Amino acid sequence: MNEQSKQVLLKLVDIVKEFPDRSGHGAVRAVDDVSLDIYDGEFLTLLGPSGCGKTTTLRLIAGFEIPNLGKILLEERDITQQPPNKRDMALVFQNYALFPHMSVYDNVAYGLQSQKMPRAQVKDKVTTSLSIIGLAGLEGRRPNQLSGGQQQRVALARSLVMEPRILLFDEPLSNLDAKLRVQMRSEIHRLQRSLGITSIYVTHDQVEAMALSDRIVVMNKGKIEQIGTPEEIYRYPKTRFVADFIGRANFLPATVSSTQNGSASLTVMGKQIDTRAPFEIEVGTVVTVMLRPEALTLRVDASLPQGVIEQAMYLGTEIEYMVRLDDIVITIVDNDPRKQHMFAEGETIGIDFIPEAVHLLPD
Amino acid sequence: MQGIRNSQQAKQFRALLKDPLLLVVLLFLIFFVVVAILLPIFSIVGESFSEEGLPLFRRYVTDPVYQNIVLNTLVMGTLVGAVGTGIGFLFAFVQVKLDVPFKRFMHFVALVPVISPPFALATSAIVLFGRSGSISRGIFGVRYDIYGLNGLVFVMALSFFTITYLNLRGMMEALDPALDEAAINLGASRWRIFRTVTIPMLLPGIASSFLLLFVEAIADLGNPLVLGGNYEVLATRIYVTIIGLYNPTGAAVLSIILLIPSLLVFVVQRYWISRISVVSVTGKPAGTPQTIKNPYVKWGLFAVVMFICLLVVLLYGAILHGAFVTVPGVRWDFTLDHFDFVLNGIGSQAMRDTTVLSGIATPIAAVIGILIAYIVVRKQFLGRDLLDFGAMLGIAVPGTIIGIGYILAFNTPIMIGDVTIIPKLTGGQAIFGGALAIVLVYITRSVPAALRSGVASLSQIDPAIEEASISLGADTVRTFRKITLPLIRPALFAGLVYAFARSMTTISAIIFLTTPQTKIMTQQILNEVENGRYGNAFAYCVILVAIVLVAIGVFYALVGTKTGAERRTKGE
Repeated sequence: MNEQSKQVLLKLVDIVKEFPDRSGHGAVRAVDDVSLDIYDGEFLTLLGPSGCGKTTTLRLIAGFEIPNLGKILLEERDITQQPPNKRDMALVFQNYALFPHMSVYDNVAYGLQSQKMPRAQVKDKVTTSLSIIGLAGLEGRRPNQLSGGQQQRVALARSLVMEPRILLFDEPLSNLDAKLRVQMRSEIHRLQRSLGITSIYVTHDQVEAMALSDRIVVMNKGKIEQIGTPEEIYRYPKTRFVADFIGRANFLPATVSSTQNGSASLTVMGKQIDTRAPFEIEVGTVVTVMLRPEALTLRVDASLPQGVIEQAMYLGTEIEYMVRLDDIVITIVDNDPRKQHMFAEGETIGIDFIPEAVHLLPD
Repeated sequence: MQGIRNSQQAKQFRALLKDPLLLVVLLFLIFFVVVAILLPIFSIVGESFSEEGLPLFRRYVTDPVYQNIVLNTLVMGTLVGAVGTGIGFLFAFVQVKLDVPFKRFMHFVALVPVISPPFALATSAIVLFGRSGSISRGIFGVRYDIYGLNGLVFVMALSFFTITYLNLRGMMEALDPALDEAAINLGASRWRIFRTVTIPMLLPGIASSFLLLFVEAIADLGNPLVLGGNYEVLATRIYVTIIGLYNPTGAAVLSIILLIPSLLVFVVQRYWISRISVVSVTGKPAGTPQTIKNPYVKWGLFAVVMFICLLVVLLYGAILHGAFVTVPGVRWDFTLDHFDFVLNGIGSQAMRDTTVLSGIATPIAAVIGILIAYIVVRKQFLGRDLLDFGAMLGIAVPGTIIGIGYILAFNTPIMIGDVTIIPKLTGGQAIFGGALAIVLVYITRSVPAALRSGVASLSQIDPAIEEASISLGADTVRTFRKITLPLIRPALFAGLVYAFARSMTTISAIIFLTTPQTKIMTQQILNEVENGRYGNAFAYCVILVAIVLVAIGVFYALVGTKTGAERRTKGE
């Protein structure tokens, strides 16, 4: 999406949502002062561990919860107090929430009938939407006569047929088995791109988030940790939490040797490197840098820092090593198909890394 | 934080105000609970703590005669609880853990008492096993005195064990067979598994069954009246105090004494047993239940249960048979006189009145029960637990007490200033000849069953299904009508059938409320029994059961059973 087309469709302003805690006396802050702009036509994912507030945020947008503080604006109109059935959004549920007593057709037609749309028009739309989603011919079936993947398609069709301004997804793929999940993931990707419908998607699966999203919002403990494209989030995590949650990360100490406007020279594992430093650091101090496992390599080279292989696992697409260097254990992934050799556990070996991959983290 | 929480409650309240329909429904439900249930109970409390009441309290508590009555009541309750739970456990165990023939027959026998009038078995027991019983005297030649504690425990245990059976059976079926398998895998023997796994897991269910039966027994009036003899219990003493001595204050005081153990059990049941229950109903047992293979255990248990079944069949058979003979137990000539008496005599009015009043009460009770269930399960507001509690009091409080409460509360119009809020409801001169009070009592006694089955089935429905409907633009009413209601229809239906059977067969709650203008079948049956006209009583019973069965048939035809929720309710 280019910069010009960025029109804010939905705006969350300083949203706070609390629930009574178990004892009933205190409160748990599920969403803590969240502000967020969602652009027209984009696919935005709320990503985070369970309990981070992502689902609550989605339910606030859908209208099933009312925030304690803050505002929600849809096209600059305040919809904070608007009931969910009046909002021009449709939610796809984690467990599909199909109406078990209705046929596939009736499930998909339900929303249109609520709008009192003429019967013929309903029929048209339902038929079209079922064929888009690849369910033509199954109109008469009941939900329990469908496979998990088909049920998910019905749930999707039921929301799509409403042609909502915003489509909301609450972990829609988490009940599917691994193969089907990948398949549905690309289906959702294809549909969203071709229909251009603004989508907000909640998941705890970072691969899913990366595959689908224009932008990812990483949440933790009710707060937004970082917003960015999948690449930004993966390569330049702003916090240790994000670095750790998205993919795998090694955290290594580095010494600052010099700084100059926005970049710094660091010593990492005896090697001098330059990297971006978007925040203040002091010369001479020890800072933390992140290195992804695939940015490290193992080589028989006495000039490199020497580590001991504690564990070596052959995973097919890659070999994963846990290597002890002094008092830290570093994860290293070798996914180069040209290399056939696998180092043995207990071997002492040199550790090298790609200098461009070093990323500086704040403390 | 506190501020935000308060504003949370304020928001819930405002959300309630924003939904005027919901608010109206809620106010109606509160009105119902307050007027139909709480007001009568508080009238009793008021009456017994009045100036005339308090000295009576002192007298009853110190008088050995009354102390004895209380002791009798507790002994009877404990015995019935123990024996009834034992029978229920056996029936459940055989259904779930044994592979034996006639299991459907046993199940059917266990359910029969639900649709039979409360003291039909007692009467039948007198005819078969009493002093001139056709079995005790006729076959064995003994003049057995069935009146008293023995007879009461025998009859009540057989009449009430259905609840225990259904309760424990549900729990046994929900027990994860993997637990048994794990225990076997760890080298435990069958008997050891039973002792160390099965029983401890079922203990909350057993305890709660015992308590339910205990309350049912001490609250029962029909059986002690028919079969008590000199063994006096609180319920019969209350009856005598009202009917014989016409002393409402004394009855109120005795009611409070009876109310204490009943409410205690209700509260224990509600707040303690539900919490310690360890059986988790996942709906997905992870293996096939192991059946007991040891032939001695298997056929031994089978024989015991079959014997009890045959006893029940015999007792009910005697009712059916007795309805067609001149004097049951004495003269065995075939006759239709009893049916003639019931169908063409006083009985016809009783039949009509009972059926019509129950028929009016049933759908109302079902609707109220389901609405309370919906609000309790799905809506958030302060005091919804109180609403549930209040409604449940309708059954937790013994029927006799409800009846006396109605007399005390509604014998005169309730006025604020000069405006009549609630007219006189009880007695012959009341509106509709006192029929309104009876309908109200029927509703009060039936709502809890509908409420519980509603709560159970609503909690099974994933809230996401309703949210999906809302998300697709439907409002609360459309969602309830199109989604929720169809999904809980089977529960609603079960609630209706149960409520109707319950109303048709109840005696304790309405015995003080019947008037010359409004005749109730159970009351008529009691009259016939007390006058020794067993034939007429049996004919009444047969007709009563027939009405209930026909009504169930009609319900099935009208409502249907194969509805949505009998498929899957999770929307998966």
